[in-house]
Amino acid sequence: MAVTLPEGNLEDRLKGYLDGFGNRHGLLESEIVRGSVRIVVAPGDVQAVLATAKEALGIVHLSFITVVDRVGSFEITYELMDLRGGRVTLKTTIEGEEPVIGTATGIYPTANWHEREAYDMFGVAFAGHPDLRRLYMWQDHFDHHPLLKSFEITTRRTFEGLR
Amino acid sequence: MLSEERRVEQQSALTEPAAARLAAPDVRDEFGLETIDMSMGPQHPAMHGLLRLILELDGETVVRCDPVMGYLHRCQEKIAENRMYPAVIPLTDRLDYFANMHNEHGYVLAVEDLLDVEVPPRAEYIRVLMSELMRLASHIPSIGFLMLELGAFTPILYAFRERERIQTIFEAVTGARMMFHYIRIGGVKADLPPDIPQKIWDYIEGLESRFQNDFVDLIQGNEIFISRTRGVGKMTQEKAVEMGLTGPPLRCTGVDFDLRRDYPYSIYPELEFDVITDTAGDVEASYRIRIAECLQSIRLIKQCLEKMPEGAVMGDLGRRLRPKEGDGFGRVESPRGEFAVHIVSDGSDTPYRVHYRDPSFCNMQLLQEVVPGHYLPDIMPIMGLIDPVSGGWDK
Repeated sequence: MAVTLPEGNLEDRLKGYLDGFGNRHGLLESEIVRGSVRIVVAPGDVQAVLATAKEALGIVHLSFITVVDRVGSFEITYELMDLRGGRVTLKTTIEGEEPVIGTATGIYPTANWHEREAYDMFGVAFAGHPDLRRLYMWQDHFDHHPLLKSFEITTRRTFEGLR
Repeated sequence: MLSEERRVEQQSALTEPAAARLAAPDVRDEFGLETIDMSMGPQHPAMHGLLRLILELDGETVVRCDPVMGYLHRCQEKIAENRMYPAVIPLTDRLDYFANMHNEHGYVLAVEDLLDVEVPPRAEYIRVLMSELMRLASHIPSIGFLMLELGAFTPILYAFRERERIQTIFEAVTGARMMFHYIRIGGVKADLPPDIPQKIWDYIEGLESRFQNDFVDLIQGNEIFISRTRGVGKMTQEKAVEMGLTGPPLRCTGVDFDLRRDYPYSIYPELEFDVITDTAGDVEASYRIRIAECLQSIRLIKQCLEKMPEGAVMGDLGRRLRPKEGDGFGRVESPRGEFAVHIVSDGSDTPYRVHYRDPSFCNMQLLQEVVPGHYLPDIMPIMGLIDPVSGGWDK
């Protein structure tokens, strides 16, 4: 069994992806910026959109997952690539003190550690994740999430004085 | 309470045979023995950096492998949020310390994505020249490490002899042997010293003539090498893509993916090189890939030296960088795979969020999948296939 790689012109492929997502799902925003498809969806649709990307459109590579703490809400970016340079940036925003979003591990198994890292650093829980433990920090006796904006590093004051 | 939690945590990481054994704890093999848990690392003489593997062993066969990381975690992403854009570059050197140039390049590309600065062509050539030298300085020792893990001591001496000479070149160009801080936003720190292109050329010619003898003839046909690596760590293409592998571990299964060609950055479209693939998908194939990629790097370095234009090495930039709001992405093909940087800017002079996608981190997921079923001593050759670097997976 071999992995089939996409063929054809990059621009046509990106347009195809944009239409492919647009026809199947309700997108909040969709555009092509600097050689990549950028779409914004509601948090409940993420799993369905990822499934479309992998199964219907053949975008097989999940590059990484970035979480951004927007103070009060979290912005999650899924960066996908089709192994021939066609990029898809999928964004969603989740609200709340204890944010929860569906896991991508069922669709992209590589999301396993990316989601564990996000859980460790931000406290974002991924519902349905098979193994949601902390990745870097201590498993016990440490209830902080270091990349939250509310977690100040001790030298912060020095930097603010310099700025 | 705690022990119950622990049990659930451990159970969730089990593979199928181990889970079955846990469900029926009274089952013993024909000698009445059960599996034992063993912790390998973080301070193990053969381990690559600070990694702990929790292994469940049935005799000498691994049933479960659960990597534990974080022993070198410095929270680079948090530090980067508290520094101005140019001040993050020296930190990226400390990520994957066998691919410093690639880390710098990836970060700088992400910032330039937001700035729309024009980088002079000479600077682009120098960046690629340095990146390819760095790839040689990473691939050759990784072959040496693989052989060291199999018990052969000579190749690591040859490998470090070559790395030492490349580091001397780096020292002459950048002023540092490992932590360069050379590639800057908008160009590179300084032009090459006048005598260096000739020295690099002489060194590369010498390496090319030694290469076959020192790294191919010495290793490739060796019976012990073949018996320890052929068929070890074998994986299919689907599995490799599913696990998000990139770089040599992906290409050794036959998936033809190299960011230098498929997501071109810098001046790679102007240069000629081949993307090397292999079909075996085991440790031996990854060794062959690295050998062939070294030769491609030599080809690229020669082309860079031949085609390098004259001119400035730094673009026109203000003193204080305030990139526009939005997302900046930078991707490079590091020796271990896809190194990506995602910067979120809020328009101020410090990044709002920096995220690194490190190839060692993603490629290591294959340990959980591939190691079960292998013998305990096969773990080290499989680590040689991935060639992870501690600073990379721990950020």
